[in-house]
Amino acid sequence: MTTPIRIAVLGCGTITKGEHLPAILRNPHVELVALVDASEERAAALIRSTGLKCRVRTDYRSIWDDVNAVVNALPNHLHASVTLEAIEAGVHVLCEKPLAIRSEDARTCAAAADRKGVILAVGMNRRFQDNHQLLRAVLDEGSLGAVSGYDWQMGGPFDWNSASGFYFSKAQAGGGVLLDYGVHLLDSLVDWFGPVADLHSEDDDWGSGIESNVRLTLEHSGAYGTIRGQVRLSRTYALANRLLVHGSDAQAELRLESPQSVLLHRELGSQAVIETLAIARSAGVSGSSFDRQLSNFVRSIQRLEKPLADGSQAAYVLEVIERCYAGRTRLPEPWSEIGAATGVQA
Amino acid sequence: MSWRDKTVLITGATGFIGGRVCERLFQAGVKNVRALVHTPHRAARIARLPIELCPGSLLDRASLRAALGKSQIVIHCGLGIGRGIVDGTRNLLEASQAAGVERFVHISTAAVYGLTPKPGSETEDAPLPHTGEPYCDNKGRAERVVLNFGRRGLPVVILRPSIVYGPYSAWSTRLIPDLKEGRVSLIDGGKGSCNITYVDNLIDAVFLSIENQQALGQAFFITDGETITWGDFIQAHANMLGNGRPLPNLSLQEIRDHYSRQPGMVTGSLKATRDALRSREFRQMLLRIPATKKVLDGLWHWSASLDDKSRARLRSQVGIRPSPPIASNHTRWIPDAETVATQTTSIFFSIEKARRLLGYKPRIPFAQGIALVEQWLRFGNYL
Repeated sequence: MTTPIRIAVLGCGTITKGEHLPAILRNPHVELVALVDASEERAAALIRSTGLKCRVRTDYRSIWDDVNAVVNALPNHLHASVTLEAIEAGVHVLCEKPLAIRSEDARTCAAAADRKGVILAVGMNRRFQDNHQLLRAVLDEGSLGAVSGYDWQMGGPFDWNSASGFYFSKAQAGGGVLLDYGVHLLDSLVDWFGPVADLHSEDDDWGSGIESNVRLTLEHSGAYGTIRGQVRLSRTYALANRLLVHGSDAQAELRLESPQSVLLHRELGSQAVIETLAIARSAGVSGSSFDRQLSNFVRSIQRLEKPLADGSQAAYVLEVIERCYAGRTRLPEPWSEIGAATGVQA
Repeated sequence: MSWRDKTVLITGATGFIGGRVCERLFQAGVKNVRALVHTPHRAARIARLPIELCPGSLLDRASLRAALGKSQIVIHCGLGIGRGIVDGTRNLLEASQAAGVERFVHISTAAVYGLTPKPGSETEDAPLPHTGEPYCDNKGRAERVVLNFGRRGLPVVILRPSIVYGPYSAWSTRLIPDLKEGRVSLIDGGKGSCNITYVDNLIDAVFLSIENQQALGQAFFITDGETITWGDFIQAHANMLGNGRPLPNLSLQEIRDHYSRQPGMVTGSLKATRDALRSREFRQMLLRIPATKKVLDGLWHWSASLDDKSRARLRSQVGIRPSPPIASNHTRWIPDAETVATQTTSIFFSIEKARRLLGYKPRIPFAQGIALVEQWLRFGNYL
């Protein structure tokens, strides 16, 4: 067995507690060296609650000489700058999404990783879900016939218990639901259908830069030709939480609550039928997308694989998001305008 | 200097009424709006406004001082639990007085007269009764504390809205799934008075309370001033679903007979607990209890070790996300005691005092209000 990769986690918030740390503890190829957080108490509390024996640091710069790799799970505004410092110190980085608030900074990180020969992977954990890979196979097999478009709705009342509360700060989060959640969807869509040739964007930002609802119309040009689709995101409404991909022969459905399967709706004889596609897998293989994401990062460091989501792809998705923000119009909310239109005057 | 140039603090800003107050202040051109935020993750609606989100709690005086900052106007939509309703209001009044606040608008409720207000409580001069309902009685106590501060020089106004509805209101967001699942019956043909208030009408009254000197130290009923019944209100929502089925009807006597046949204390308590746990609001209140929150947080984090599917299922059961509604086999749903109490009042509150002293004029009638609610429910994927 090779020497374990010495790893540290930067940021001890909710995603670290809930996902990254458990994945690290389950991976036999990594050794957790340190937890880093601006709040020593937060990191120490995490160590106490998990019974870990690693060190606590408040200055991430103090660990570069001691680790091979880091997971960067700091608030959004610290993703790019700290990732870049790690890369320059020769440390491999698995960075939480979004890699940067600005695409330009993501490009800088990607270029630096290439130059230094270190691995930069971006936390697009959904790429590692079975349904992401199953839909790709369905598209490649041509099971849908000619693909005509898609409709993706994702949303529910916001319930992320952020330790730092950065989500609603424009300076720290960089944007609202599009940047926070939309990166996942756009990353998947670009991976399936190719680059975004054209787009139309509406959101409900009233001036803070932290939108809660977004509606996009996208046009891709890729391996399956020109594909048009609709995306709706929400932090305030419980949406259908499913992707429908329409084809001439069948329709594929991905449901949020079933990351391990794809439903195929088609005709059989004169009956409408639903087929459930799932990957046959032996027992004991982890179903956690964060486990698989970490494994891909580790194997990339070992030069056995390449990161499924790298800095360049992240930068491209951020460019699409910047185009959405630049051209956005306000979502119509007639129930909100009534007060402004005829409100009481002073 | 117009009040719109002053700094305004809103409590309860992540709630239905407080959230709309924030939006309306922004639409009215108020530049300096501060929002006390007790539960940060619920702030998605107001986070899209260019306002200052101030973390804190009505029970944490230091946080109130910080949230107030240089505020000159306070709009108190915040609530609290049990006696916290009174203590939180007192803390905010003390901090406001110390900060030299120029106007304190207290959002009370017509339910200070109970869930089933008795004839004689149509006007504001009726004395506040002891209702035996903790929410109603604590809101009544909070009003008395507000008036005491008013007598000591703090410029206070009390608004007592009733059945406030509109976009984001739980009246509608609960009624729609209840109707879909057959959990609604009319009581006595739905003849009970539904003293509805469209949320923007209430906020017009809030703005008038800030502007108007005659309002000081006074309490005002605020409704739409229409004679809408619960049957009208429920039927309007049923029409949105468009299934054409007539709503089942029960007489009050049938409901009383049903409950008199109910099993004893233990079974009844278990059933009531189960019903309460189905309510998202109640579960969120539970999360405010530190020990409960710790257990649920622990469960949440432990769930990370599960595969994606099991994790999603467990997390939904923990109650962080709403669970799917449970279907009922009843052909005629028996309403719970609170629903019966709420839907069987025979009185309509008078808004004459608000018209006379505040210049209040409800400008959005029921037909328009319910149409806006329907548009919103469609946008929000409720229909």
